[in-house]
Amino acid sequence: MYGCAQRRDSGNLMNWRTMKSLGIGALIVTTAMAGTLVAENHKEYRFNVGPKAGLSVNNPYGSISVKPSTGNTVLINAILHSDKVEVDNNQAGNRVEVQSHLLPGADPETGRVDYEIFAPADASITLHSSTGTLRAEKLHGDVTLEGAGATVDVHDISNAHVHVKTLNGAVTLSNVQEGHVEVDSLSGVVTLDHVTGPLVQVISTSGAINYAGDFGDGGEYRLTSHSGDIEAIVPDNTSADVSASSVKGEVRDDIPLQPKTHSWFDVQAGRTFMGTMGRAAVSSTVVLRSFSGKIHLRKRTAK
Amino acid sequence: MTCVELQESLAGIDEGGTAEQQAHLKSCPECSALVKELLLIASSATELRESDEPSPRVWNSIEIALRREGLIHPPHADQSLLRNLDRPWSAKGWFWGRWLVPATAVLLLALSIRILHEKQMRQVESNSVPTTSSAIVSDSVIAGLNDDDLLQEIASQSPATQAQYAENLRHANQYIQDAKSIADANPYDEEARRTLFEAYQQKAMLFELAMDRSLP
Amino acid sequence: MTDREPQERQRTPNELDEARAIERAKQGDADAFQALYDRHKRRVYSLCLRMTANTAEAEDLTQEAFLQLYRKIATFRGESAFSTWLHRLSVNVVLMHLRKKSLAVISLEETGQAAEDDSPRKDFGAEDLALAGSIDRLQLQKAVDDLPPGYRTIFVLHDVQGYEHNEIAAIVGCSIGNSKSQLHKARMKLRDMLRMNRTEKAEQS
Repeated sequence: MYGCAQRRDSGNLMNWRTMKSLGIGALIVTTAMAGTLVAENHKEYRFNVGPKAGLSVNNPYGSISVKPSTGNTVLINAILHSDKVEVDNNQAGNRVEVQSHLLPGADPETGRVDYEIFAPADASITLHSSTGTLRAEKLHGDVTLEGAGATVDVHDISNAHVHVKTLNGAVTLSNVQEGHVEVDSLSGVVTLDHVTGPLVQVISTSGAINYAGDFGDGGEYRLTSHSGDIEAIVPDNTSADVSASSVKGEVRDDIPLQPKTHSWFDVQAGRTFMGTMGRAAVSSTVVLRSFSGKIHLRKRTAK
Repeated sequence: MTCVELQESLAGIDEGGTAEQQAHLKSCPECSALVKELLLIASSATELRESDEPSPRVWNSIEIALRREGLIHPPHADQSLLRNLDRPWSAKGWFWGRWLVPATAVLLLALSIRILHEKQMRQVESNSVPTTSSAIVSDSVIAGLNDDDLLQEIASQSPATQAQYAENLRHANQYIQDAKSIADANPYDEEARRTLFEAYQQKAMLFELAMDRSLP
Repeated sequence: MTDREPQERQRTPNELDEARAIERAKQGDADAFQALYDRHKRRVYSLCLRMTANTAEAEDLTQEAFLQLYRKIATFRGESAFSTWLHRLSVNVVLMHLRKKSLAVISLEETGQAAEDDSPRKDFGAEDLALAGSIDRLQLQKAVDDLPPGYRTIFVLHDVQGYEHNEIAAIVGCSIGNSKSQLHKARMKLRDMLRMNRTEKAEQS
């Protein structure tokens, strides 16, 4: 129904470009390093897809970056770091699936593949890598990213579900508008910069959670940690019902809140605060919870 | 019966075939192989029955339409969490169904049992302080899933990551323990129970990430 | 349908959960609606996707099927399994959509359009699929998506969804013989496509 993949192998070209860019100084690189470079292999795959296509990439070792393409094309550039790994790909209707296939003897270095992918902005993408950086930008389809130690960077996303799961990789989401955002992290630092939407939820065990933005869109914002610190930096014009509580950690609030007349839990000074900030008709619900982490609600200072 | 005649009559082969067909298949390895292939295709097709997951936006659109048509009403704030926990195969608000592996299911089932048990206990002892039920779920061994087994598996598959998994596992267990003590001390606090659920969810995710590794 | 269940037998714990969810959904409980959706979404969506081979259409049809179901849920009395009711309704939604698009549902035979490669032949020289013992799911999925709509409908209903020929005849509005014949042709075509795919892969490697 849709077009098939076209593949172009250009290992030699890549090596030549790489060597050229390294310059004269690179001539004295070690033999081992040269061996690694020679083993790199560049492959290109192209798929024609329809609206709201699906793209799934499973890459045990290595980075995956997805950017918007022009037209209804998924273009995949893959750099394979050795012959211990292959790229399997398949198109089923409007769905493209890519898998780095590790061969016997592959390790995190030789099994590594780095992907640069251009996909239609409305495509739904699912990326999985254990170690590499996962990056998605300027899309408005659903984004699902998962990886144990993967660093996650998502920015300029709108009207989309963004789901992230990591063990200890740092997660940075910036400029995500009208998102349905769910981040689960065991110990990685989670940073949200101008992330708004009907639901923004972060759950972390020991990682810190940093939020900078205005808690906009009348959404529900839940930032929860066990031992990680939570910091939210908001501008003056923020409008939200805020409740913050840490069982053992310090809770600080630099912004004057209008106290709630009715509370469903005991307010303990230094451990809890709750109240309303701003007066806009539509206000968001903000819940900040920690067991032993510190919670700090700060006002953004003018630059 | 010739091979061509057999092929022409294959449409009803699912029911076992006629005596004539059977006789030909016994004597003709080529036709026999053809029939085996067709039946292999038929049996493989059942794998496609639930092969694909719809995008989360499908439910969003359905929910919006249901609200617009007045077919659903929002959950009561004081009941919504318990309703979520009462439902072992779904959870409102977070679409983690797609991430589930058996370990996750077992962990969450264990939590559901705990919650259901506590609800029953509260119904029976509505005027007394609920008893602690920490014995119901053990955090180191849940339905045969053992932290040590997991770490050993990681050590054998990927020694370099064992330390980080061990550290995270320790934190996740501490999270559950702390959340459990608060939930036990405040049995009617919805937030406390939600936190406990999230703590279990974190540990479930750790197991899932560990088991999902694509090692050579 | 193969997963149809006798009414008298005892319900499993999962079915009890489902029965509770249905009762709560009848009272307008949002969580119950979502729970029912979560439980059946993969089956319904996969059906829609296989029948249309188009993600956007499959999403719209999944939405339509569940909405139709939810609008009628108050009338569900439990005489048949909920899943049977839902899947039958989903099939109807998809078939209606295909008819609206004027896509052939069983039209190949009626229009005398049967492809030349459907005629009996001896072509046993190629690699034996059965020897491999299994068929790659993704390859099969792609091959099904590439089937002509008429073949695809019958194949999906019979081999994927588990409907019997008499049920298909009633649903689609064709004869039982027609259903059997279309199914056989679909399987033959799939076999050709899978073999071709295997040969191409062998040549590449």
